[in-house]
Amino acid sequence: MGEIFSMFIAAVLINNIVLAKFLGICPFLGVSNKLDSAFGMSLAVIFVIVGASIMSYGIYYMVLVPLGIEYMMLITFILVIATFVQFTEMVIKKYSPGLYKALGIYLPLITTNCVVLQVTLDNIANEFNFVNMLVYSFAVPIGFMLVLLLFATIRERLETSDIPEAFKGNPIALVVAAIMALTFSAFAGLV
Amino acid sequence: MPENIVSAVIYAMVIASIYAVLYYLNHKTPVPKGCENLNVKCEGCKISSCELHPSRKIKEEVHD
Repeated sequence: MGEIFSMFIAAVLINNIVLAKFLGICPFLGVSNKLDSAFGMSLAVIFVIVGASIMSYGIYYMVLVPLGIEYMMLITFILVIATFVQFTEMVIKKYSPGLYKALGIYLPLITTNCVVLQVTLDNIANEFNFVNMLVYSFAVPIGFMLVLLLFATIRERLETSDIPEAFKGNPIALVVAAIMALTFSAFAGLV
Repeated sequence: MPENIVSAVIYAMVIASIYAVLYYLNHKTPVPKGCENLNVKCEGCKISSCELHPSRKIKEEVHD
């Protein structure tokens, strides 16, 4: 239990996927202008990462390893993620129009999100068992959501601040992201 | 080794086919009412370089 908790805290804070590993920068900068958009994107990312991780983990150990074609891992995971996103979008369109209105626009964006692929690859590279895989796959998008929401609140405040013309938009956003990364590096040694 | 490659090719074709089928089914699934023109709402912010910024649309209308 302690190990699982440590893994969860490490994935969310210490080895944060955005601020420590510098992945998922595209949605981090692109969808963090408004808190509503950031929240919607975060929920969609959590769902896709957990689902795609379970599927890719199962396919790796039940298909690729028995057939001796582990080298097909990368292309498999990419296709699994894309397939899962297509399936999810189709189901949401049909059975939950409200959810589609809230999250639908973000789902195709998540297909190309490198965070999803990184999590699926990490699950194999770290030789996680099923429980550890689930915890890691849930913790990483939680860390992504935490950082995205924090960043969105800061950017909303920045809109009403007096910023030099040259720094408006992405420059000040990157400065803020750098300071956040430095701040999060202080969590090292926590666990 | 040859069996390995054959398995890999067949496996790649299977998962690519599954993706193609799901893509087609998703494409055919009708979009719910009210969701035809989904986009991220833009109320205008200080990021004036953004294509969705309202000031750009006003400039385009003036040029037209």
